Order: sequence, then structure tokens, then C-alpha cells
Amino acid sequence: MNEQPSFIKNVVKKGIVGAVIGAVFFGAATALGFPPIFRYMFVAYAALGTVVFILLDAPALPTFGGIKAVVALLAFYLVLSVVYIGGASLWPQYDPEDEKGKIVKLLEAKRRASEQGKAEELLVRAKALSEKADSIMQRLQTLGGPTVAAPAAGGAKAGGAAPASGDIVALGKEQWELQECYNCHKLEGKGGKKRGPELDNIGNLLKPDEMKEKILDPRSWMAEGFEKEYEKKKMPDKYKELMEEKDVDALVAFLATLKNPAVNTPKPIKKK
Amino acid sequence: MKTWQRSLLMLFGLLTVFGTTAYAQVPNAPTVEFPYTGNRTAVWIVAQLHILFAAFILGAPIFVVISEWLGYRKQDPRYDRLAKEVMKVTVILYSMTALTGGLFIFVLLATYPQFTTWLINHFFLIFAVIYPLLFIGETIVLYLYFYTWDAWKGDRKARHIALGVLLNIIGTVTLFVIDGPTSFMNTPAKAEGASIVEFIQTATLWDKVFNYSWLPLNLHRLVGNVTFGGFITGLIAAYMYMGAKDDKERAYYDWMGFVGNLIGVGALLFLPFMGYLLAYELCDYDASICPYMMADQLSMFFEMQGAMIGLIFLASNYYIWLSMKRIEGVERVRISVLTVMVMVALPFVMTYTWDRFPVPDPTSLAVLLPLVLLPVVFGRFIPFTVSSRAAIKVSFLMVIVGNAIWMTPHGFVATGAKLVEELELPGDWSFLALMPAKNSAAITLVFVTVVSYIIYNRAIKQGTIVWGKIDFASQFVLIFLAFSAIWTMGLMGAVRSLLRKYYHTYNLVPDFTAESFTPTLAYSAWWITGITLVFYIVVSFAILITLRASESKAHAHEDSPAPVGAK
Repeated sequence: MNEQPSFIKNVVKKGIVGAVIGAVFFGAATALGFPPIFRYMFVAYAALGTVVFILLDAPALPTFGGIKAVVALLAFYLVLSVVYIGGASLWPQYDPEDEKGKIVKLLEAKRRASEQGKAEELLVRAKALSEKADSIMQRLQTLGGPTVAAPAAGGAKAGGAAPASGDIVALGKEQWELQECYNCHKLEGKGGKKRGPELDNIGNLLKPDEMKEKILDPRSWMAEGFEKEYEKKKMPDKYKELMEEKDVDALVAFLATLKNPAVNTPKPIKKK
Repeated sequence: MKTWQRSLLMLFGLLTVFGTTAYAQVPNAPTVEFPYTGNRTAVWIVAQLHILFAAFILGAPIFVVISEWLGYRKQDPRYDRLAKEVMKVTVILYSMTALTGGLFIFVLLATYPQFTTWLINHFFLIFAVIYPLLFIGETIVLYLYFYTWDAWKGDRKARHIALGVLLNIIGTVTLFVIDGPTSFMNTPAKAEGASIVEFIQTATLWDKVFNYSWLPLNLHRLVGNVTFGGFITGLIAAYMYMGAKDDKERAYYDWMGFVGNLIGVGALLFLPFMGYLLAYELCDYDASICPYMMADQLSMFFEMQGAMIGLIFLASNYYIWLSMKRIEGVERVRISVLTVMVMVALPFVMTYTWDRFPVPDPTSLAVLLPLVLLPVVFGRFIPFTVSSRAAIKVSFLMVIVGNAIWMTPHGFVATGAKLVEELELPGDWSFLALMPAKNSAAITLVFVTVVSYIIYNRAIKQGTIVWGKIDFASQFVLIFLAFSAIWTMGLMGAVRSLLRKYYHTYNLVPDFTAESFTPTLAYSAWWITGITLVFYIVVSFAILITLRASESKAHAHEDSPAPVGAK
């Protein structure tokens, strides 16, 4: 009978200690310049610790069985499910819409080359031709005689909103994003995780042909100071298969414009 | 379930496999569209369910045979009973493995016929000959092992244990064989300087099987299966403890729960390192996989994984805490103050060391080894000790600290592209998000858990365990551990599959469907929870029909607890 008051006392005591620790964490994190979200995270850890230490000194749960155990189990599973789904939903969520258009562009060439792509292309063409024929028939019926058919609606846009053909640098920048070069190479102070060199001045260090050689065969050139990364073959040897030649040319055209001597892009060394 | 019913179920599973393989040879087979879930999620659900059942039927026999051997060697009938009861559940779940396996192939062929045909053609010998033969062999040995349990006693027990070993060998080979095509989809064989498409055309079956991630995946799954089997044994024990009618049954199932948890946690200690090995090989295969996994689209999946691992370690330590409460004389157990000091210092010292001397620099090992061995070597010469309760409370504190380090992200964003200053770790503290800190956190979790078990072991030696008198909350801890282990398996399974990005086979066979994007963590959590619940329902049903139904029969044997070897 004495267990209940002592447990409440335990909860209050640990709760106060936990609140003090949480407040200290919050204050220290603020003083050290942590953004608010991290301060709350530290307070959450203090709260977790408080719950754990309350549980450690909680009175023993009496044994029960039968229908009471079944109900307790079902309630337990419900709580676990809600906590896990809720917990996962609380983390920042990646927006698949950011990726969808990118995937279509990345796989465009392969889709065209594939059987499925060929079949789909035929279907699209057949549909466009059918629409065009319908349109001509309608006009003929309206005008009572032969005339020049209007372009089928949407037909011109079937290829998507590609940049103008002359804008090869813009296409190259798009390839930089699509191939996620920024994951390893820093550019204009953004991206990169020390896996590859900063490329802000690469245009002054490599000729376009040499850049192309490096992209298609990563073993051909090595950046000075990146011996370890070169030995570990950090740069994937896959772009000759994943990218079309025109895309590689566009990427090279974009890289060739990067001529910022203020950034210390490491000197490339010919290896092959 | 009777033998003929099980056989029928197995036959159905095999027929489905062969039927669908034949269907795969039909050119241009039309695809179907699964309503509500879509095709990809439909495959995900069936594949994950199949893997969960398969993990149990491959993991459980490993410790079943060890338990049987221990029972024989120690002449303790509890081990034999544990082994047999887990085997009963395994036999039921074996049928479910075959059924879901057949269903998996069927759904895969109906939804992705071209890719499935392509994969089957590349691994034809495995899918058409090796795997079915192994499966049939395993079925025969499994049923032989189970049905000879009572007949092969006494002098013939060694023969029965040998059969169990054979079952495990076949099971492990089956796992390694099927891991070939699975790992191939993540890291298809390649050769330096050669085009991957051309190389695959000329590559031998062994080249394809022995790809970058095959060995690490084998190890990860093997250890993971034992962990999973141990926690499911804990679940079985918890259910039976809750339904026990007398103290004798409660004492037995309390013991069984303890053993299950011990197996689960024992194997769990190796899992983070096996996971690292797999991730290392994946990143080594293609460096762009790493940021996708850790910094971009899947980064929050790893935050959730960190949370789950932390909860699992907290729960397994809490179970030890509750177990210690029922040991008479536990208050006499004390431990060197050095151990506590090392526990507290470990994450900070190792973060600093690994930051200065990154893995695999041997200097870091030269610091780590003396540090963890310090209490063992010098502990007995230092007169200062702390009580076991105080030491375990410190270990809880360090599990929370270790988990906090594990979970600290570089930024609270799902992808690096959206990182802004208000959501990013300050520059001076960015080391908390790097691998040296994460490695230190993993080492800390493992070390403090080992210390807790050492303390428990000392308590057992110096005190007396009162089996059956454990805090009832411990049964919920066992259930929690099983649920969380399954959930984490589902989460990491989803991560491994998603690493292929918009490819069926990475960089080789593109997925042109509209579903080839990275789903959100919340969406994934819904399905993972659903799959976990379905698996739980089936396992709970299997436990109830196999163990509860046969309880009355078992009582007759338990009344005369003669040593196994004497029977």
C-alpha cells in the first residue's frame, strides 16, 4: 500500500531533476550557438532519461492473465504502432515530387532504347496522328473543303520543356544537378563532403577534352591531395554508361565556364 | 496443423514457384495493376513478409540445436523443452515461408514480368535447380528433425543433434544462395575498365553471385536472423508466461524468456558492425550510394533506425534490470569503479580518437583496446567499488548518451539541398554528425550492455534466481523487443531495396514505372507497421495453436523431469 505514494514521490523527484537537467541543456545549447531545433532535441533526451529513471524505480507490475492480459496486449500493440508511425512522421520528410521529374529526365535515353520505351513511343505517335487526323476531319467538315491542318494540341510540347539548343551551359548545369555531382564536389561554397575537390576553378586547369576523359574514365586523372580518394576509387566509373554523349558534352561545357582563381581547386595530375 | 495439411501447403508453395517460373518464360506477359497499394508496395509487402518468416525459420534452428545440445550435455530438460517448443513454431512458420515465397514470385511476375524474367534468366541455375533442391532438402531434414525428436532420445540423441546441424548447414547455404540474386540487384558484378552491360553478358554465375555486397549481406542476415529468432523466442515465452496456470509453468517460461533475450541481445551486439560492413561495401561499390543513404533521401530513415536501436538497447538493459530484481542476494554484488569510469569516458575518448585517427588506422584500436580492458586488468587492484544497481544506472545513462550521439543529425532536413543555417549543427559541433562519433556511440551501446550482462552474471553466481517471480512488466519488455526488432528489420529492408534508386538492378535495369521514386519515411512507417502487425498475428496464432493446444499433453512429460539423456 505504501508503494503508490513512494512511486508518486519518485516521479515528482525524478521529474524535477529531469526538468532541471533539460533546462541546463537548453541554456548550454543556446550559449553554444545551437539552433532552436537542436535545443529541443537535447531537452527531449533529458525527458527520455527522466522516463527511463522513473521506470527503473517503478513498483513491480502484478501478474495478470486471461482477458485482462489479452486487452493489455492489444492496447500495447496499438500504442507501439501509433508511436512508431507518429515518430517516423515527426522527422522531416523527403518530398518525392523533388525527384520524380529528375528520374524521368535521367531515364529518358534508356526508356527510348528499351522495348517498353519503343512501344510507348509508338503509342504516343499513334495517338498524336489520330488526334491530327480527327482535327483535319473536323476542319474539312467545318470549311467544306481541304485546308491546312492546325498543329495537334500538345504535340509540340511532348518532348518536355527542354532549354534552347544553344544553351548548352544551362544543359550542363542541369546535368550537374541530375547526376548529383554536388554530393562530392563543392561549387560556389555549396555541396561536397570532402570526397572530391572543389571545382570552382577547374575551367582554368583542364581542357574540355581532358574533363570529358576524366568523367568517362575516372582513373585517367587525379586531383592533387586526393590520393586516398583516387586509390579508393571514390569517383564512380559509371557515367560512360549512364550519360549520353550530348549530356557529357553539356556537362563539360558547363565545367569549362568555372574559372574562379580565388578558389583553390587542386591541380589535376594525368594518371593514364 | 496436421502433417498432410502442412505438406499440402508446401506443395502449393512449390507449385506456385515452378508455375510462375514457367509463366516468366511467356514473352511480353502483360503487367497487372494492384489497386490501392500500387505494384511496388504490393511487392514490398509480400517480400517483407516472406523475409520475416524466412529469417525466423533460418535463425531459430541455429540456437534450437545449440539448446538441444546444452540440454543433452547439462542433462537439463529445460533446454530440450525450449528447443522443441521453438521448433514446433518453426515448423508452422516454415509452411508460411513457402506460401509467402510462392506468392512473392507470383506477385513479382505479375507486376514486373520483364525484369523478373531477366533476373531469372541470369540466375537460371539457382532459381531452377539449386534453390529448389536446397528447399526440398531443407524440408525433408526439417520434418525429419522435428518428427524424430521423441524417438531419437538417449543414445540416439547425438544423431538427432547431428541432424539439427545438417539442417542448419542446408539453411545457411540456402540463405547464401538466395542472397546472390538479392545482393546482385544492389551491386551487380562489374570489372574495372569494362562496361557493366557488356561484362554482365559474359560474366559467369559465380561472378554474379560473388558481388560486392554478397558476403556482407550474408553475414548481416545470418547474425540478424539469430537476433530475430532470439527475440521471437522471448515473445513465445512472454505469451506462455502470461497464459501460465501455475508457478512451475511461470518459472519455466520466465527462464525461457531470459534465454531468448540473451540470444537476441548476444547476437544484436554484433549487428551494428555487420551493418557498417554492408554499408561500407555499398559505398565502396559506388560512392554516390553513401550520400543518398546518409545525407539525402534516406537520411531520415537512418535517424529512425538510430531511435529504434536506442530503444532496443534500452529495453534489453531494462530487462536485465528487472531480472536482477528477482535475484536474492544481488545487493552483495559490487563492481570496480574503473568500469564505471570507462563507461562514462568511452564515447568522448573514442570520438576524439577516431576523429584524429579514422578507421582503419590501427592507432584508434591501440586506444580502444586498453581502454575497454582497463577494468579487467586493473579492476582487482583498485579498492573502490560501486553497487551493481549504481553501475547499471550509469549504464542506462550512457545508453541514452550513446543514442543521443548516434541520432544527432548534421541537419534537420530530409535532403542536403534544403539545409539552412537554422536547421544545421553549428560548425564547431559538426563532428557529432560524422562517422567517428557514430562509431563511438555504437561501441558505447555495445560496451555498456556487455557490462550489464557481466554484472548480471556475477549476481547469478553470488545470489539465487527466483524463477517465475520476475516483474510482470518484463513480459511486455520481451514483446516490445520482438516488435521493435521486426520493425527495424522492415525499415532496414526497405532501405536496402531503396538504395537501388530508380533501378531494379542498380545502374543496369531501370525501373520505368511511375513508382520508382523514394517514398517518404511516414509512408514507409505505415506499411512497415502494417507488415509487422500481420506477421505478429500469424506468429501469435502459430504459438497459440502449437503450444497452448498441446500444453495438456506436455504436462504429462513435465511431471517427470528426468534428465533428457536418461529418457
